[in-house]
Amino acid sequence: MKVSYKWLSDYIDSVGSMHDLADKFNAMSQEIADVYDLTKATNIVVGEVVEKVKHPDADKLNVCQVNIGEMTQIVCGAPNVDVGQKVIVALPGCELTEMKIKKAKVRGVESNGMICSLAELGIDKKYCDASGIEVLPENAEVGANPLEFLSLDDQVMELDLTPNRADLLSMMGVAYDTAALLDAELNLPYPNVVEIDEVNPVKVSIETEKCMSYYTRVIKNVTITESPKWMQARLIASGVRPINNVVDITNYIMLETGQPLHAFDLDKVKTNKIVVRQANKDEVLKTLDDQDRNLLESDIMITNGTESVALGGVMGGLDTEIDENTKYVLLESATFNPVSIRRTSRRLDLRSEASMRFEKGVDPNRTVLALERATEMFASYAGGEVLKGINFVENNDLEEKVVEITLPFINKYVGKEYTMDEIMNVFDRLNFEYDVDGDAFNVKVPTRRQDITMKFDLIEEIVRINGYDNIPLTLPKAVSVGKLTTSQKRRRNIKSILLGLGLDEVVTYSLVNENKVHELTTSKEEYVKLLMPMSEDKAVMRHSALTGMIQAIQYNVARKNTDVRVFEISNKYTEGEDLLLNIVVTGNQVSKQWSGAAKPVDFYFLKGIVETLSNELGIHLEYVKAELNENYHPGQSATIIQNGNVVGHIAKLHPKYEANNDLNDTFVMELNLAKVDFGAEVTKFVPLQKYPTMERDIAIEADRALPVGDMITVIKAAGKKLLKQVEVFDVYTGEYIAEDKKSVAIKLYFNDPERTLETEEVNNRVDKIVQKLQDELKVKLRD
Amino acid sequence: MGILDKLEQVRLEAKERIEMQKTIHDLHQEKAKYLGKKGVIADFMKLMKDATPDERKEIGKISNEIKQKISNYIDEQKTLIEELEIKAKLESETIDVTLPGLDVQKGTKHILNQVIEEIEDMFIGMGYTVEEGPEIENDEYNFEKLNLPKDHPARDMQDTLYITEESLLRTHTSPVQVRTMLAAEGQPIKIICPGKVYRRDDDDATHSHQFMQIEGLVIDKTTTLSDLKGTLQEVARKMFGDDREIRLRPSYFPFTEPSVEVDVTCSNCDGVGCSMCKGTGWIEILGAGMVHPNVLEACGYNSEEYQGFAFGMGVERIAMLRHGIDDIRHFYTNDLRFLKQFK
Repeated sequence: MKVSYKWLSDYIDSVGSMHDLADKFNAMSQEIADVYDLTKATNIVVGEVVEKVKHPDADKLNVCQVNIGEMTQIVCGAPNVDVGQKVIVALPGCELTEMKIKKAKVRGVESNGMICSLAELGIDKKYCDASGIEVLPENAEVGANPLEFLSLDDQVMELDLTPNRADLLSMMGVAYDTAALLDAELNLPYPNVVEIDEVNPVKVSIETEKCMSYYTRVIKNVTITESPKWMQARLIASGVRPINNVVDITNYIMLETGQPLHAFDLDKVKTNKIVVRQANKDEVLKTLDDQDRNLLESDIMITNGTESVALGGVMGGLDTEIDENTKYVLLESATFNPVSIRRTSRRLDLRSEASMRFEKGVDPNRTVLALERATEMFASYAGGEVLKGINFVENNDLEEKVVEITLPFINKYVGKEYTMDEIMNVFDRLNFEYDVDGDAFNVKVPTRRQDITMKFDLIEEIVRINGYDNIPLTLPKAVSVGKLTTSQKRRRNIKSILLGLGLDEVVTYSLVNENKVHELTTSKEEYVKLLMPMSEDKAVMRHSALTGMIQAIQYNVARKNTDVRVFEISNKYTEGEDLLLNIVVTGNQVSKQWSGAAKPVDFYFLKGIVETLSNELGIHLEYVKAELNENYHPGQSATIIQNGNVVGHIAKLHPKYEANNDLNDTFVMELNLAKVDFGAEVTKFVPLQKYPTMERDIAIEADRALPVGDMITVIKAAGKKLLKQVEVFDVYTGEYIAEDKKSVAIKLYFNDPERTLETEEVNNRVDKIVQKLQDELKVKLRD
Repeated sequence: MGILDKLEQVRLEAKERIEMQKTIHDLHQEKAKYLGKKGVIADFMKLMKDATPDERKEIGKISNEIKQKISNYIDEQKTLIEELEIKAKLESETIDVTLPGLDVQKGTKHILNQVIEEIEDMFIGMGYTVEEGPEIENDEYNFEKLNLPKDHPARDMQDTLYITEESLLRTHTSPVQVRTMLAAEGQPIKIICPGKVYRRDDDDATHSHQFMQIEGLVIDKTTTLSDLKGTLQEVARKMFGDDREIRLRPSYFPFTEPSVEVDVTCSNCDGVGCSMCKGTGWIEILGAGMVHPNVLEACGYNSEEYQGFAFGMGVERIAMLRHGIDDIRHFYTNDLRFLKQFK
């Protein structure tokens, strides 16, 4: 809502400075988007064109002698300039939005200024005619300030309205709030309509609940002309383009009261009947903007009993439009169901000043006021004669609701000790009527404030008008224990372990391209797709953060950040939302330094990170060679298993995938934290070893393809309770062993917490382990 | 030359020899030569059997003295040699301390999560718990139970990414509040809810279709608007410095009444007015209010008995203001040069 200072000053005597008022609005009412002068032009005067001759060297230019109190010569390029016109002259020194006026020679002819259009003075081209210079009426006085003459010497305050304050979509509403903020007197206009004997012939009936009231006036013999300059200026300040007196009056009164109006040419309506109903099936109406609108049965139609003449509350019909031959104007002031208007205007993408107000709800007690104010103006500014009587149907509840509130409740809610006087002061400033009964107030809430329906709404009024700055600073009194849950603590623990291992944390987008959702997942579960995505790249919810993390890697690698080791803990979005940990590493784990060569990341680097993490978390994970999907390296992929359940995977990306995505060797890991069993939160103490541990080394010769993990499984099974730990300390392939073989050196640790072990029983145990290895895996023991 | 003179000569010779030695090993050899069982002094003792008892007494005394002196010479020389050896070792071990250290890695927590954890910790200290919930929500929890029925005009304020008519990506973390209230079955609540939220916004320097929010909710029989103001001042000071002030301005959210926007004094100009705060001295940091009675009732509370406050802030906005970050997309691009700046 754009508020004209001059207009507001009609209602309030001492508005003060617009900037001070804006500060008050910010603190007590609505956010102010901007405060600005309607035009900033200075050094301009009214002039009269006394002589016009063609420029000797330019076809389109005229050399004008202009009387501005003295004669001055101005070269003018506007096509409409003529002798006898009163015009706006910008003198040397005048700063316009796009230029600074100086004495100059235009193609060799001296020019001492410029004859201007309103657009050149800084008025938005949306609101004025920019095709030629502005021609002022005869009565403009030579030498006077044209901005004052045109009432354009105004300031505008733009409110950034919240959706609840529909009352501020009117100058009257703004005036009510201003009066409350300034604690000032309010003088609102009261209509004075003079009627002729001829009687308003229009019969009104309403056949739908979606129209709550419909009022009509008929005004005859209107003359379509320009509206007064002051009215045009106020419309411009309000962001509405002046058209002609009839249209301007309806717009002006809408801005004044918040009640949209519509004017029909009664002769074109053809019947003296108005019937409001819902649209018929497949009904079509050509609206004022010359477009055929296909209507739904839920839309509200204004009809003449048989044919539709307007789309109620949204836009008039083209066939009943006012034109220069209009004699009888049928003026409508009505109220419609806000939700219905909202649906219709959205569906048809027809959002007008009127529909915007109806959507938010208008004050039913201003419907007649608006009708009468406009009627009065049709008489004053369009020469109209008002037919006797208002014909209407009224189904609104016009009564003001009473809301009860007590001082103790206010104080308990706000946490401040207001006095009765302070509360009364607020209601007085807001012009709310009320009774006091002990410490209780019965407040009659005016219908203009439809946002106030319960006592909590009154508390907001009290707090804002009394001032938010007066509210004390306290903390909640209730005592409670604050803490993280076990899983929240664990998530933080995982993060700090990974950060300590040198991984950076990333956060990537959840929405991904549908083609990529299963690129790096191990199963193809159903995914969640948006109804209307903003773009293909943000169409579905991801199943793994790897999708976004790979993009982050690409971004960094392309910018020469080639060593990237990152993790993300985030949701997998399927039916439920499991929490995943993802890690991606690429580049070097140790960069090239003076002390030695670079060490690139590899599968075991990433696995080492995961193993450190699982050790720190006290969980045991197993790794089983697996084929995950076509984008993973078939020889460097494993599923991660806990207690027989798949809980994740770890792998190198397939070289083809890497090449297609401009990646270097890249390794990824996913652990579904929701599937991992983290065991008990509290660690149980294990007594320290009292008796010595005995170590034995064995070297196994096996097929190269035989996983060491299989050997360890056999060793552990055969080692039984005494075998405490198995450590692979060397894997050898090369010239001293057959080409398809490898040698694996393993250290075995034996211990019994109760006693010192005998050498012989350990040797026996090792023999049994070796026997099992030979039996089950067909391997040989090396000496 | 008498024996005593010879002994004196031995002492002088021994002193000279000992002081010539450069290693502990050579010194030990000298020690054996003079003081050993077959050493020079021992040889003198053998001569004593030919002497008179008086002479013997005298020779014994002098030779003991000389033995002691030579032993002292050896000890002194030993100390000297050891010092020289340590000095040589230190010299050989001297390195160029100006060469850079080895490449030891430490990761950096994402700045958004740093801010979230800071705020979480602050509220945990004030007795709050941290609640989380699904990001794929239903219309009922995201809107309807929050006093936003289907045709409510305020739905325009939040353009929503729908999955079906009824399910959507949550536009705020408020549905977590709804879930917590319903689960609490009318009992007091003191929670904060951090998490990802989504809006239908084209990404640019100040807009992001995905962002992080932290909301707070306190409900009991005594929680007041002034408690909200005091709590938010703590937040502002924690995030922007101990000398920050806040102010509340009226605003509108369907789920709170009264609703406020909260400004903090600009930390760039200390409230004087600068380009960062557009000359006002204040910067908007969050929205808040008293929980709307319709929300309380929809979530199982008697609004005549229970009252509470709620607030919500954008984590990106807080981080951008505090660290002077000029583009919200940085948070999601994950350029290491960006991430590594926030230690």
